[in-house]
Amino acid sequence: MNSSTSSSETDPAWGRSLLACLGALSGAALLVLALMVVVDPYDSGKLGLLGIDGVDNRLTQITAASRARNPAFNAAIFGNSTAQMIEPAELSRATNQRFVQLYMTGSSPREQLAVLDFFLRHHKDVGALVFAADPGWCVHARPKEEGAPFPYWLYDRSVVTYAVRLISWQAIEQAFQRISIGLGRRQRMNPDGFVSYEDIWPPGWFKETNGPRDPAPVASTNERAVFPEIAALDDVIRKLPADLAVVIIVPPTLASTVAKAGTDAALERSACDAALRKVVAGRPRSNFISYRVDNALTRDRANFADFIHYRAAIARRIEQGIAASLRDGEGAKIDF
Amino acid sequence: MLFNDYPFLLVFLPAALLIYRLADPHPHLRIGVQVALSLAFYAWGSPSFILLLIASIAINWLASIAYGRVKWPAVLTLVIVLDLAVLALFKYANFLLANLGLVLGTTLPALDIGLPLGISFFTFHHIMYLVDLKRGKAPLYALDRYALYIAFFPQAIAGPLARWSEVMHQFGRQVYVPGWQRQFCIATSFIALGLFEKVVIADSIAHLLDPIYAEAAHGPLPSGDAWLAFCFSFQILFDFSGYSDIAIGLGLLFGVQLPYNFNAPLRSTNIQDFWQRWHITLMLFLRDYVFYPLVNSRLLPRRFLPLQFFGAMLITMALCGLWHGASWTFVLWGVLHGLAQVVCSLWRRYGPRFPSWLGWALTVLFVLATGVIFRAGSVEAAWHVFSGLLSPLSLERGKHLWPLIAAPLAAFLLPASQDLVAIVTRRPNPWLAGALGIALFALLLHMGGRDLHEFVYFKF
Repeated sequence: MNSSTSSSETDPAWGRSLLACLGALSGAALLVLALMVVVDPYDSGKLGLLGIDGVDNRLTQITAASRARNPAFNAAIFGNSTAQMIEPAELSRATNQRFVQLYMTGSSPREQLAVLDFFLRHHKDVGALVFAADPGWCVHARPKEEGAPFPYWLYDRSVVTYAVRLISWQAIEQAFQRISIGLGRRQRMNPDGFVSYEDIWPPGWFKETNGPRDPAPVASTNERAVFPEIAALDDVIRKLPADLAVVIIVPPTLASTVAKAGTDAALERSACDAALRKVVAGRPRSNFISYRVDNALTRDRANFADFIHYRAAIARRIEQGIAASLRDGEGAKIDF
Repeated sequence: MLFNDYPFLLVFLPAALLIYRLADPHPHLRIGVQVALSLAFYAWGSPSFILLLIASIAINWLASIAYGRVKWPAVLTLVIVLDLAVLALFKYANFLLANLGLVLGTTLPALDIGLPLGISFFTFHHIMYLVDLKRGKAPLYALDRYALYIAFFPQAIAGPLARWSEVMHQFGRQVYVPGWQRQFCIATSFIALGLFEKVVIADSIAHLLDPIYAEAAHGPLPSGDAWLAFCFSFQILFDFSGYSDIAIGLGLLFGVQLPYNFNAPLRSTNIQDFWQRWHITLMLFLRDYVFYPLVNSRLLPRRFLPLQFFGAMLITMALCGLWHGASWTFVLWGVLHGLAQVVCSLWRRYGPRFPSWLGWALTVLFVLATGVIFRAGSVEAAWHVFSGLLSPLSLERGKHLWPLIAAPLAAFLLPASQDLVAIVTRRPNPWLAGALGIALFALLLHMGGRDLHEFVYFKF
């Protein structure tokens, strides 16, 4: 340091300065920590003394925790935006279960499995599980995670992992939003999690985007039979009570993106379908339904917002198929 | 483990400070404890290469001891060649294989060996010591002191490249002596300033620029974005200057004053001035261990001495480029800077005098333009950026452009970090120190909500 100091290097005021710096740092940290302990900004159930219910956040990866632990529900829908249009209220009406939507925009299977684990940890008596399995489930090797990192810390069992992540401006903002909800000055998000994307993609609007990300066909039959994401789901489902109803659907896509019979892509698709079907095989009131077919409904662009996001008319048919499956299992009549 | 990561700031650093506080009263423990902490730091960040680091320390130290006994310079030459061979294997083997493949008209298989953290830096630390030992300038050291010189965690991963003569005598000194509180205040100021440069300025620019450069790799840029990409040099300045400031602050917490690495380089009025202010420790290394030997060796007849001088300048800067990465774009970047230094040198001797503002403007423009080549990864991608400059800058991003306004202002107007720290720590001021504590916590909050960005210089 080449500064010319007017005071001595051993001036006791340096000690007071260091103390002031560390004191301010630790004081601010303690204050924020106290706020987090009292409010639990993401409604994870790990902290929180005020008992505020719900959150207000547009990030589904964050809000799924609050919904997944809500004891008002005993059944859940998992998937990404290709599951978003399935209305939990419709399913609840048709099945006598209490469904919550746990879709997360752009989520991968392993992220959905983290939320499934969280949901199962918070519900001793699960009524039914529904999965919308997009092509991400059909990969033959788990891809490296890309894009914005998923908040696994929110769904983790450890309070410490969670608490460390609360040292952020976002957590403070969330905490104040939750206080506003607690004071009745702010609305919490819809507890069952349903948000229609038709609010931003109104009927009549179609954009040629979001082609289904089908994995590239592999060379050998052996490779084609390996589905690590489905195997991970199977591991979880196998440990659940034998009478728990599980329905897996393959969401529809515009007919032009459905594999033509006899092609490698069709072989890939049927291998993935077979693996998904095996997950629910033998379970009562459970079924596997592939809506990824070429028919009049999927040929009509009016039924889609883009190649993979179907509209309400198709969503209602899917809800009927799920409800019928939860009643009649594999013998359910699927009208699609 | 990154300096801007919670595991380091909230776990490793407090634990290391506590452990060292306990060891500090015992002179025989000080260096050993710092070595252990440094190896633990390295093992946390790069567990697969910790043995390589230990082996590297052991072999180089044994060579120095052997030289001390037998005085055979070949021993040192051999071990320096070995150091460079290991560096070449990890850093340049795939580059060589790819180019050999091009020459042979085939594709040679790439090696999947990874890059040990900080290998360039610890290799250069070995070389600095061994060359000086060979020149009779350096003494022999005990293993623990030598190990600390190579592995001292604040500098091991990305410098500053400290000379043995700058730090060896500082290792093992008692930290907690009267006046240590002042040193800690200075250290905390460096760390806070470095974190601010890294996580607030550099990372915010990276958020803007990374997608643009990804796009430039595939095709022309949409209107206006190229002007943002043109500003990459501000990102790397604050990224590396931030890292260096944190390293200097950490060094002080353990009683070691590391050399400064930046001195407000974007206030330079010519390119030679710039290279005396940018990554100072690397340039001093290249000057003393590459440039001077090239200039002083009798390669050409005496009348061609100027040619040899300028050739040495070009080779040194080309190697500087290659040091930054195994790619021809880095070599091109280095050669361009070498040429600029040759032109600058000739101009200063034979050309008319520039007004300093014009020299400054040309220097900044040159640094920004070559920064595009440095970042783009390929000449084609750089061309996409340059051709995009024909479109005017779009202000559609509005307030998100703030880092690209704040960064140039700070780079052009503010003094170097060490001078800023000197100003705020001239006198003890508990109020200012309290505000620094709050600022540090605000930086922690800022880091908590963002994705981690590695320091750019970690991959060099």
